[in-house]
Amino acid sequence: MRLTARIALVAGVVAAAACPAAAQQAPIRIGASLSLTGSYAKLGSNQHEGYKLCERDVNVKGGLLGRKVEFVVYDDQSAPPTAVRLYEKLITEDKVDGVMGPYSSPVTEAAANVTEKYKKVMVSPLAATTSIFRKGRKYIFMVISPAEGYLEGLIDIAAKRGLKTVAVVNEDTLFSKAAASGALELAKKRGLHVVYQEAYPKGNTDFSALLTKVKSLNPDVIAAATYFDDAVALTRQMKELNVNPRMYGVTVGGDLPEFYDTLRQNAEYIYGATQWEPTLPYPGQKEFLDAYRKEFGHDPSYHSAAGYAGCLVYTEGVKRAGSLDSDRVREALLKLETRTMFGDYKVDADGFQLAHKMALFQWLDGKKYTVWPDELASAKTRFPTPPWNQR
Amino acid sequence: MNVAITPAMLGQVVVSGILAGALYAMVALGLALIFGVMRVINIAHGPLLMLGAYTTFFIYQALGLNPYLTVPITMLVLFILGALLQRTLVYRVVDAPELSSLLLTFGISIALVNLAQLAFTSNLRTVEYVTGSYTLGPLAFSKSRLIAFVVAAALAGLVFLFLQRTRLGKAIRATSQSREVAMVCGVDVQRIHRITFGIAAALAGAGGALVSVIVAIQPEMGQIWTFKSFLVIVLGGAGNYPGALLGGVLLGLVEQLASLFLTTQLSEAVAYILLVLILLVRPTGLLGGRQT
Repeated sequence: MRLTARIALVAGVVAAAACPAAAQQAPIRIGASLSLTGSYAKLGSNQHEGYKLCERDVNVKGGLLGRKVEFVVYDDQSAPPTAVRLYEKLITEDKVDGVMGPYSSPVTEAAANVTEKYKKVMVSPLAATTSIFRKGRKYIFMVISPAEGYLEGLIDIAAKRGLKTVAVVNEDTLFSKAAASGALELAKKRGLHVVYQEAYPKGNTDFSALLTKVKSLNPDVIAAATYFDDAVALTRQMKELNVNPRMYGVTVGGDLPEFYDTLRQNAEYIYGATQWEPTLPYPGQKEFLDAYRKEFGHDPSYHSAAGYAGCLVYTEGVKRAGSLDSDRVREALLKLETRTMFGDYKVDADGFQLAHKMALFQWLDGKKYTVWPDELASAKTRFPTPPWNQR
Repeated sequence: MNVAITPAMLGQVVVSGILAGALYAMVALGLALIFGVMRVINIAHGPLLMLGAYTTFFIYQALGLNPYLTVPITMLVLFILGALLQRTLVYRVVDAPELSSLLLTFGISIALVNLAQLAFTSNLRTVEYVTGSYTLGPLAFSKSRLIAFVVAAALAGLVFLFLQRTRLGKAIRATSQSREVAMVCGVDVQRIHRITFGIAAALAGAGGALVSVIVAIQPEMGQIWTFKSFLVIVLGGAGNYPGALLGGVLLGLVEQLASLFLTTQLSEAVAYILLVLILLVRPTGLLGGRQT
């Protein structure tokens, strides 16, 4: 009896080793640090949910290279130095099989130094600053449109409507500075006169002095390269100080439902730049929205969608490479041209995004309507923005 | 880029600075009280303000109560919390070297922020109650900031009256001047410490309630207030209560004027340069430190 048992056991072990099923093999571990706390917590958490949903969907569809996928996520507290430490840990201690990008340009810029050092491919779905991808780095890939293009729609509409002057304000961080310099460039190109520009430190919520100066110049357009808190504070204080541009647009934060919940009717007429809206007609959009709402009980933001799409792009790269080897995945991602529910993906030799399109929306009657570019527009813009006392 | 600065603009910015300054002063008064009485620098002061903001938010959300009416409730909740913190943790480090109290309150600060993250998540919460402003000639007075100014000034005044006029207030000041002598005179020093910490936490909580109407509420909102309060009490003279008021208004004005004449980006730098200068010229702060 004992002998047969032992033979059966040995046979079992041999069989298991000979034909490994997906479930029995160790999962592919993908590491990332995300801003789950700190000033980018809200946006970083949305990206995290995108990753989580992607992990689930990839596994439901049979995994990657026949193995399950598992995300290893740490909290970088929105701090670039912490992200550097965490990517070191992920790569050298946890020995993850692959990495995905963190939230925001400043954090990605810092983390990319680590992933380059270890030659790890990093698809960075929420880094929109051009300079990150123009430093000769080989293993980093961009998913969203560059920061410089965020305010293109606002400037384009302003120029078409014959407006003359613009004031640009921005948070003094990597992404916002790039978005502001892009807006300046575009404004000059379109013949608009930039009457004022000022940067303010991260975390600033009192704009009285800045807006007092802007008000004295009475610009037609205020283009603000913001995150969330500053966009809300800026809007509230524009009302308090009765600053009345004919168009006012923000970059990040303006697209969150919380933006409207916070400002209510004061958010009406405000323009916002967006990488993605649930209403855009891309393939797989409905399935993504349904699954996301079911899983997390709320609507995705573009951060969620970009996180999900970035993860799809990475897994597609691994699939095409047929391996987790960095150089082979890199080759596959450089060649890849695809369209996800987030829009188009195609990069140049630096991994810089070429195909994805930005959109501009406007808050109208409590809803966001895409008003630019024309081919994606779902409503006509309401122009000009009336003074605060007539809203 | 140069902007011609008119008297009206200057006036507007001075108004904004004073409005902001009163709030700084009230919150910093709490920090100054604890430092004066116990020689403890409470790093958790800002996170207590954050808890005050959440308290207001949840009352506002559950009962639809006017956020300004929640101020007394929030202060009571924070008073109890502060007294409990003193009774369970902070009393252990009152006589220890100053590093111990820094470490302890730093630990409390991290714990409070992370507990808030677990309990309340990092979702941004907002209390949208008043927007817009009152205008007086060319000057605009933000409604939310004006109300915050009035409430903060009133509360700071009440605390002063309390310290000057009541037996308990006198006992607090006595303890602050000399604990030994206070003890000899029959003051229950431990009780005074608990009450002091409670009042300080209540002031932070009131600050949170007032701030919740101005900016978004999230677990990390408090830390910046620890720094600002610290700056204020060093400017005014650590442990000197009128100094905290002066320091608060001064900080508000300096920040706004630097934003106007230089850039918003430089306003923080200017505030800290001012701090260094004052420490060079008057190391004990503008109104002098705690008398011993």
